Amino acid sequence: MEGVASAASPAKLSVRGLTKYYDDLEVLSDIAVDVADGEFVSIVGPTGCGKTTFLRIVDGLEPFDAGEVSIDGRQVTKPGPDRAFVFQADSLQPWRTVWSNAAIGLEIQGRLTGAERERLNRLLELVGLKGFERYYPRQLSGGMRQRVNLARALAVHPEVLLMDEPFAALDAQTREIMQTELLRIWSAAKSTVLFITHQIDEAIYLSDRVLVFSRRPGRLQEDIAIDLPRPRDPSVKRTPKFSEYVGHIWNLIESAVRESVMEETVVHS
Amino acid sequence: MQRVVVTIASVIGGLAIWEFIGHYVVKNALFLATPSASLSALGDMWHQGVLQKAIVISGEEFFIGFFIAVVAGTLIGLLTASFQNISLVLTPWISGFYASPIVALAPLLILWFGVGIWSKIAVVISLVIFPMIINTEAGIKHTDPQLIEAARSFGASKMQIFEKVALPSSLPYIIAGLRLGVGRGLIGVVIGELAGARGGLGFLINNASQVFNMPQLFASVIVLATAGIVLTAAFQRLERMLVPWKA
Repeated sequence: MEGVASAASPAKLSVRGLTKYYDDLEVLSDIAVDVADGEFVSIVGPTGCGKTTFLRIVDGLEPFDAGEVSIDGRQVTKPGPDRAFVFQADSLQPWRTVWSNAAIGLEIQGRLTGAERERLNRLLELVGLKGFERYYPRQLSGGMRQRVNLARALAVHPEVLLMDEPFAALDAQTREIMQTELLRIWSAAKSTVLFITHQIDEAIYLSDRVLVFSRRPGRLQEDIAIDLPRPRDPSVKRTPKFSEYVGHIWNLIESAVRESVMEETVVHS
Repeated sequence: MQRVVVTIASVIGGLAIWEFIGHYVVKNALFLATPSASLSALGDMWHQGVLQKAIVISGEEFFIGFFIAVVAGTLIGLLTASFQNISLVLTPWISGFYASPIVALAPLLILWFGVGIWSKIAVVISLVIFPMIINTEAGIKHTDPQLIEAARSFGASKMQIFEKVALPSSLPYIIAGLRLGVGRGLIGVVIGELAGARGGLGFLINNASQVFNMPQLFASVIVLATAGIVLTAAFQRLERMLVPWKA
């Protein structure tokens, strides 16, 4: 099963022929993908394959040179209230409380009404921050700051949630917990998610589909449907089917990863 | 508690040593006034009403000059940080003046503005405005780019980014500029009055030094030092209150 758009269920996010250059360097080459409404799609690939650039283009943070990106048929060129980005580093404002940080997206978009404040309170509860609304970021652990990040993004009710290695800075155990938390929150929020990660098992555990990008210039090497039942819990990581997926994806990117590691070694010597 | 005790003991000890030196080491009263003599002179000046008048005059010069310099300096700093053209035009002058001992131009300002308080206000402004400009500019320029990106990702306009990210982010730098400005401003008051004045603490210092009245000289300096300490401490308090996230 692939997330194929049809007349009955048009794609939420549609990308065609996306190409991007940094000066003369081609970083993305002719990317085409459809993501259905409510799908959780991960993107994996070796360093430098353009995953983050792709995500930033979808959010409208960066321009592109060819192709088109559209959400519900509308072309995307700048950031907008239909999308929200969860950055890898926690970009929380240290002078604002947890609540105020989570509200900032709504504030910027002029949507901070009484009803939204109520919803934000419940959202903070959903992400597990109840009782911490008046805390400051410096008083929180890394995992909790990422929860605020997540709440902030969800607060604007994005149709598409874009997450750039949100758990990379967390220790392994916190990361495991956050993965399960994210699934719980996602199934409640029902947004469409594009998720970048370097961890293959994380990608498979969370997603309906995994997009494998090739080495620079980034191309969509393969679009893999993850046929594991939902709801998922961590024990699924130890099933044979899970391991097969891991093996398959690792085979795809192993040679590319090796090459880029070698390349870095050669360049530095 | 321990730290307060040590601090107080250090101050008292220092004063005791100073008193001792004044009585038994440097016995010529023309060279050194003891703490006791200085405090006694302070008392006399207060009873004669001389001290109060001087404090009012110097106080006016300081606070008016400081206020103008802070407002103007912050505004100019915000402009140079936001508009590159303005920055290119103004920066050589700002850096140049900041690095030069422009306080030496005080007599020139007396010539332009006369012997009243406005020449001293001008001197204070000339000393306080440049660190304010530079600090404000640095504060805006050091805004965390990740915070700016996060705001952009929600569709923030340039104005919103300035208001919600750059400005609060630069607050610690601006307050640090205030703190630095205090000492410089007080120097401005004194040097301005030394260059030409009809009243004020610097005026008293000048008169006292000309007739070698060391206790009165020391007493005036003590008043200025106390003002400096109190104001600096007040701004440090303000800093902790307003920007608690900068440890």
